[in-house]
Amino acid sequence: MKKLLCFLFALTLMLSSCIEIIDDLSMNLDGSGTFKYTVNLSASKVKVNSILALDSFNGKKVPKIDEIESKINQFRELLKNEKGIKSVQTEFNKIDFIAKISVDFSSLDELQTGIKSVLTQLDPSIKYTEDYTVWIAWDHKSLQRMIPKLVEERIKTETQSDQELLTTGSYTCISRLPKTIQNSSNPACKLNPSKTAAMLRINTWDLKLNPSLLEHTLTLSP
Amino acid sequence: MKKLAFLWLLGCLSEVWGQGVDPLIPAQAVTVFSINNTDLLQKISIDEWITYDFMEEIHQELFDKSTENKTVKDAGLDFDQRLSLFYGKTPYYEVTGFTFGIKDQKALFNVFDDFENIPSAYQGVQIYQSLFNNLLIDKNQGVLIRVEPVEAFLNQQTDSLWYSRGNLSPFYAMDEDQLLNEEELFLEDAQKNLLEKNYYELRDSLQFDFQKKYYHEVLQGLLTQRKSLYTNDSIFRELLTHRSAGVFYMDNSRNIDRAKNLWYLKTVLPTLYLDVQELYDGNIITGDLILQESSVQFNLQARYSPALGSIYSEMNQAKFDPNIAPFIRSNQPAYFSYNINLRSAYEKAYEVLVPILSKAKDPEISFNLLLLKLGNALVNKDAVFDAYKGSLFMTFNGIQKVKTRKITFFYDEETFEYGEKETEAEEDMPIFTLGFSTKRKDIPEMILEHFSQVTSKFENKGDYWVYNKAIFDAAPVFLINAKGMFIVTNDRDLAENHREGYGKEALSKRAIKAIKKSGTMAGYANLQQVAQKFPSDFLDPSQQQLMDFLRNKTGSISLQSGETTEQSTSVTLNYSFNDTEKSSKHFLDLLNTLYLLTK
Repeated sequence: MKKLLCFLFALTLMLSSCIEIIDDLSMNLDGSGTFKYTVNLSASKVKVNSILALDSFNGKKVPKIDEIESKINQFRELLKNEKGIKSVQTEFNKIDFIAKISVDFSSLDELQTGIKSVLTQLDPSIKYTEDYTVWIAWDHKSLQRMIPKLVEERIKTETQSDQELLTTGSYTCISRLPKTIQNSSNPACKLNPSKTAAMLRINTWDLKLNPSLLEHTLTLSP
Repeated sequence: MKKLAFLWLLGCLSEVWGQGVDPLIPAQAVTVFSINNTDLLQKISIDEWITYDFMEEIHQELFDKSTENKTVKDAGLDFDQRLSLFYGKTPYYEVTGFTFGIKDQKALFNVFDDFENIPSAYQGVQIYQSLFNNLLIDKNQGVLIRVEPVEAFLNQQTDSLWYSRGNLSPFYAMDEDQLLNEEELFLEDAQKNLLEKNYYELRDSLQFDFQKKYYHEVLQGLLTQRKSLYTNDSIFRELLTHRSAGVFYMDNSRNIDRAKNLWYLKTVLPTLYLDVQELYDGNIITGDLILQESSVQFNLQARYSPALGSIYSEMNQAKFDPNIAPFIRSNQPAYFSYNINLRSAYEKAYEVLVPILSKAKDPEISFNLLLLKLGNALVNKDAVFDAYKGSLFMTFNGIQKVKTRKITFFYDEETFEYGEKETEAEEDMPIFTLGFSTKRKDIPEMILEHFSQVTSKFENKGDYWVYNKAIFDAAPVFLINAKGMFIVTNDRDLAENHREGYGKEALSKRAIKAIKKSGTMAGYANLQQVAQKFPSDFLDPSQQQLMDFLRNKTGSISLQSGETTEQSTSVTLNYSFNDTEKSSKHFLDLLNTLYLLTK
């Protein structure tokens, strides 16, 4: 499992130039909501397929596509058992390499604790500190968002220097709220006409240079 | 009479020991590189020298300051004796190292100060050790030697011992542990016998033990029985009399012997194995490295047994097909052409192999032999060998952007809901072309027609075919069946614009003449272009090592085969460079490349 996780990290790292991530959160008034996370590697499918055809890559064993699918399913089944988590759905497009997860949760704390718990079960050798798995904060008046530390660290260690390629990847953060948004702390954050949703899109190159670009707090109208 | 016997004995001994360090090369060595012209090494700094992969046994010296600003000359080496690098492999262990002459032992240990003297069981031989390396000094001759058990053998032995002790798979534990609660885990830990080795400790112990055992086996042969590659092999002895800058030796018959795919043959069909082995007897490849002003020439000679030689000499009775030349661009980073007379080779191989296979008492082989005989009697050989005559070429055309499809997300500006759409994308891909000459255009065409009926991915574009999404379900492959050639490529430019060949951009008349002259094989590689453009991410670690090494090199390598007889064939590899003052460095570069290729 550890090898598989390492490989998947190495893979997403190598392809962060062409990776598209959508981090989509819908909140209800009572603090419950739906979280969707999408990773799209279709722009690099030749490269992903080439790696999958190998036995090992950068000294790590390359898993078979079925093994990756089975681990995604394992993640889903483990997450289902976590407190406050409902309706876990996963989807894996083996042709275009798009992985999606959708989760209903009772509270953001339970969502983040649940994800941390599953990651630890999948690889007990890694000890995740609090800041690794907390990237959303909600106090019914405002929603604070940032890049998950786990992803941030991976992007920072990216050594690829081809700026042109890196700018084609993106991280999109979408927040849908139960009340209108009064204020956004990040001017790059785009609000929809009804001011109930916000979207912030940063390319991989900028994010590598400055991970705080993704940080924003949305303050709700009283 | 006694005097005569004494003189004869003296003569024998001087033949064995008079050649310097060569009798210290173990008999197990399969590959040897020997540098005769050690003068050219004297100006190279030790730090630079030991960065070469063939010096990896002493790479640890790089981590201390003892080698800084020192040249090989400062290391106390005797440049009147040759330096030989060797590599050997048996089913159980690998042996690597190098032999050298010593002029000043004190200076040697000032530079290589990690070695410690240990007691020696061999009279007159001093032994020093540093980690896994062993340095043996016999008068003014030294050999640095490292013996390691073969990993597959070590794993097999560890598994055998591990399971015989009633243990479960060492890889099973993690998932099972997840089902245990903390108390159960604690109890399990408390019950563990700390004196009992875990799998990896057991493996380490066995590795250490095997290292010791096989190291002594090698030393026993070398120092007690005084048997070495030099005493065992007359071809190697003769090679060492050459006056070229360096020589190369590879005993391919022992390479064949250790090949994994013969294991079944060796254990299940020993008689057949001996016959097949006999076919490869004497298959020794030797070479001379000749240092010239702006190039290093490597002249190789492969020797065969009469049976194998008869097949190769028939096979090599072929001429370069002129239809190939228009499809190789003059500025191609690398190309290779191979011309054989497949029909003659088949006829001869049939004649040689059928009697060997007939001896096997195995029903499966017997049945396969029957199929072979029936095929020979019933199949239209004219059609088969006209469809593929035996001439082919390959080119590496660099990296090109190829069109693929990708999924992108589009967003509703009102709600920020999103959906997927398929759009065009471009990805970098190495471009290769493979083509062979054919007299029967109708046969590939018939196959392609059939495929196009089976799958819509095959598209007939008139005078060429496209197999869409052929590479990793993304990029197309083009098939061109024209001008007496059948070409498979992922080069869109070749398929769309150069189906008749590259015209003026193709190989020059001079280059074609050189290929024609070279016989069976001809090749060319622009080192820097190949190393820069080739996507080394996808190579295995040893190939990556070679690419990384070549990345900083300039110059080109060309390959030409020469005359083939029933006894041997010759091949010339020429490495040309521009900066002539660094010829010794280029010499070592080529040596290192060959070392990585043959390792």
